Amino acid sequence: MKNFYIVLGVVAIAGAGLVWWALRGGAGAIAPIDLGDIADAELVELAQGVVYGDPDAPLTIMEFADYQCSHCATFALSVKPLLDTDYIETGRANLVFHDFPSGQFPHSFLAARAARCAGEQDRYFEYHDEIFRTQMDWFDLESPAGFFRDLAAGLELDSREFRRCLGSDRYADVVTANRALGARLGVTGTPFVFVHDGQTLTFTGSYAFADVQRALEAAGSGN
Amino acid sequence: MTDSAAGGPPALPKNRKAIALLSLAGVFLAFYLVAHNLGWAPPLLCGTGDCGVVQSSSHAWVGPIPVAAIGLAGYLGLLVLALLGLQESMAGSRLIALLLFGGALAGVLYSGYLTYLEAAVIKAWCRYCVASAILITVVFLATIPELKRIRGVGRE
Repeated sequence: MKNFYIVLGVVAIAGAGLVWWALRGGAGAIAPIDLGDIADAELVELAQGVVYGDPDAPLTIMEFADYQCSHCATFALSVKPLLDTDYIETGRANLVFHDFPSGQFPHSFLAARAARCAGEQDRYFEYHDEIFRTQMDWFDLESPAGFFRDLAAGLELDSREFRRCLGSDRYADVVTANRALGARLGVTGTPFVFVHDGQTLTFTGSYAFADVQRALEAAGSGN
Repeated sequence: MTDSAAGGPPALPKNRKAIALLSLAGVFLAFYLVAHNLGWAPPLLCGTGDCGVVQSSSHAWVGPIPVAAIGLAGYLGLLVLALLGLQESMAGSRLIALLLFGGALAGVLYSGYLTYLEAAVIKAWCRYCVASAILITVVFLATIPELKRIRGVGRE
């Protein structure tokens, strides 16, 4: 009987160790997944961006951004509000945000998924702005999952649902597909901004407001 | 109410040792899935199969309760019963035998239903659910000797 309890103890310790190992982190998918050999059409279908503004606007500002990149934060917090005033609120253009976790930073992928989880509760861009606004607060954390959960709670999202989403692999495929789409479109850095007039995709040259504005005006005038 | 030979201490049922060990493994397996369901865990380590599809389906929950939590409670119950049944004073208990057999039977039936859902409704397989289905089936087989105790065979 003594031997039995020894074996039981060994199984208990081994099981607890395995569970601890499997649960460490608690952050959900934190890196791109393998999408296999995905065709262009399938990739476009999966790589849905998030639309800000009128979905039927004649022009689209197509942004590929990395949540941990400081220039992307500048674009989100300084350039986007100008575009908002001049183009998006007036219905002349919308903005479609695509995730592009470049691989340069450790938390970009999780941040992208966190924003998608907030999007489930129709708060994508509020959360997007908050992530960028607080970028320096979570940038160096070993795991920012708790920070992202607190951010969601601060925005009064359904915390339980957000936690379940963030702790899962939900949107890992979508974010991965976004990144793959950007790569196929020639995105080489972030933020990478295109203007799309329904037919032609034009790289703006930089994320500076003047360059994006120039591209929008050119596309809007049919040039 | 014992299996023992007259005069000697009751023989400790070996099958209950197996049930205890297997149920303990089931406890860890189910706990892992519960942790995933509640968002405490990273994505399931799922090299083959579609764990994510299964675990994010509506069939992974019964109202607010993850199905895995039902499994966790079941395995814990079987573990406690098996350990109780290994105590000399309870080795021949018909109640323990009945609860062990009944619990394992309920578990194997429910697990069979969940396996059917995976195959026919969700059309995706979760390796942990399959592992649990195999585990509870083996636990159930290990409870078959309990039938003798339930019927009182071997009682003095």
